[in-house]
Amino acid sequence: MTNDNVVPRHWWRDLRLVAHQVKYEQMAFWINRVGAVFTVGFSVVFLVMLGLSAGNQRNASLGDVRLVQYYVPGFIAYGVMAAGFTTLAITIVVRRETGLLKRLRLSPLPTWVLITSIFLSTLMVALAQVAVLIVIGRFAYQVPFPSSWPALLVAVLVGIVSFSAMGIAISCAVPNQETAGPVTSIVFFILLFLAGLWFPLPPGSGLAKFSNYLPVRHLMTAMDRSFQIPRGTSPWAWDDLLVVALWGIGATLISLRRFRWSPRRS
Amino acid sequence: MVPALSVRHLEKSYGPLTAVDDVTFDVERGEIFALLGPNGAGKTTTIEILEGFLTRDRGEVMVLGVDPGEAPHLRWLRNQIGVVLQELAVEPFFTVRQVLERNAGFYSHPRPVDEVIELVGLTHKGDVKVKKLSGGQQRRLDIGLGIVGNPSILFLDEPTTGLDPAARRTTWDLVRLLSAQGTTVLMSSHYMDEVEALAHRVAVLSRGRIAAQGPTASLGGRDTGEVTIRFTLPTDIGVDDLPIPVTPVVDDLVEIRTSDELNILHRLTSWALERRVALAGLVVTRETLEDMYLALTRDDRAGATRSSP
Repeated sequence: MTNDNVVPRHWWRDLRLVAHQVKYEQMAFWINRVGAVFTVGFSVVFLVMLGLSAGNQRNASLGDVRLVQYYVPGFIAYGVMAAGFTTLAITIVVRRETGLLKRLRLSPLPTWVLITSIFLSTLMVALAQVAVLIVIGRFAYQVPFPSSWPALLVAVLVGIVSFSAMGIAISCAVPNQETAGPVTSIVFFILLFLAGLWFPLPPGSGLAKFSNYLPVRHLMTAMDRSFQIPRGTSPWAWDDLLVVALWGIGATLISLRRFRWSPRRS
Repeated sequence: MVPALSVRHLEKSYGPLTAVDDVTFDVERGEIFALLGPNGAGKTTTIEILEGFLTRDRGEVMVLGVDPGEAPHLRWLRNQIGVVLQELAVEPFFTVRQVLERNAGFYSHPRPVDEVIELVGLTHKGDVKVKKLSGGQQRRLDIGLGIVGNPSILFLDEPTTGLDPAARRTTWDLVRLLSAQGTTVLMSSHYMDEVEALAHRVAVLSRGRIAAQGPTASLGGRDTGEVTIRFTLPTDIGVDDLPIPVTPVVDDLVEIRTSDELNILHRLTSWALERRVALAGLVVTRETLEDMYLALTRDDRAGATRSSP
């Protein structure tokens, strides 16, 4: 019993395993509906409601652009964060507390395949809601398409990876299933409010300075820049994405130390 | 051929609490081996170390000839083992077939999903959502997930806790069937009847230590040890009138403890026939697994400090 114990597996067979797992992650997300309501549903409802109430209102502090032009990239950022942070954190806590994570851990499914599949599945959800928001913005509120699609895509990618890492990190701090929803939602909505998602922050205000240290506002700015507002600037917001990425790296370090595959023993 | 499982002087602590202390046992291929003990005796910890889920502090552990504590073996090993957890770990919104197909995809040589559905008795339930199944059916699906990878070793952690009597019987039949097909089973339980019905051999765990170990039928010599003869004294007959000394139990109930039951019974019944008296409620009992278990785990339940070995 020596040589045949470590079965050589070809990497493309593991990629097939990724595709297999992504399929079931997607099914779980859409059949379960809770996550779909939280991400795609909420961002669409918020955009439609705020778009209707804003009308053709303009905001001086935003460089005299229509408020709704601020909301489209804002709620794209919201959807990305909701998919990566809130939904993923709740999913992981539920899976951990019901023993699903332990069962996956005890199966031959490699951990990297599981994590890659979860990221890819979350990314697919984010892209779906990005597409829906852009279409609503364009055809209901005449918000132009992004001026740089690659810049938008990169911002979505960085956002999903970083906020997924933050979702996994906060799942380690949530003690049980019952508190998963409230804890993550409260943290999330406070962060969103501080970042001025609903009410744009006046530049130079204390809140604007404070939110510079948090990732949410930077992700919103990065989305905003890909729509190229204000005019004349580059659509690539590298400094903002760097802050988001740093938060993601920090969260990854916490997750590596604190992640649990099973409920805490009573 | 190496044994399916081999455990030598296994030790594991959680901080100051010793969960597993000097545990040693072997499980042969195709055998059903039970870890019997109260909650907190170290059953689940032992199983989780064998599954490679927990690391051990000391001792040697081999599963199918490899060490589950060594990362390079883990993927190979997890392809060979099946696990049924204490918790019911199945997504409620999937159908029976969906969860089985998903998990089958993880293994290199899975059992066909239809065969699994058939084996665990969920025929015609394949397209039913998990949340619509009864508790017993969900447990059987759980066992189905344990065997979908066609494992050579199946770990069953308290497989029938919370099941109704009929569902327990079906589960037992399934475990026997798998064992007959060559699957090695390591199970834990705190039900005596379950261990007696299923396990070829048993280790009684108490406070992390093995208090007794052996074939289920003869654990601790209970097949050859003392028997207890009990009966009610006939009317107007005192203890001194009997041909054999007896010990009063309660009211007129008396008992004799002996390992020479053939002779004693012969003398007793001959005497009763001569005197034309009845020995009401006459029973001969051998020590049950439950008696053994209760005696062996008495310290555990009393919360007394562990005696030195």
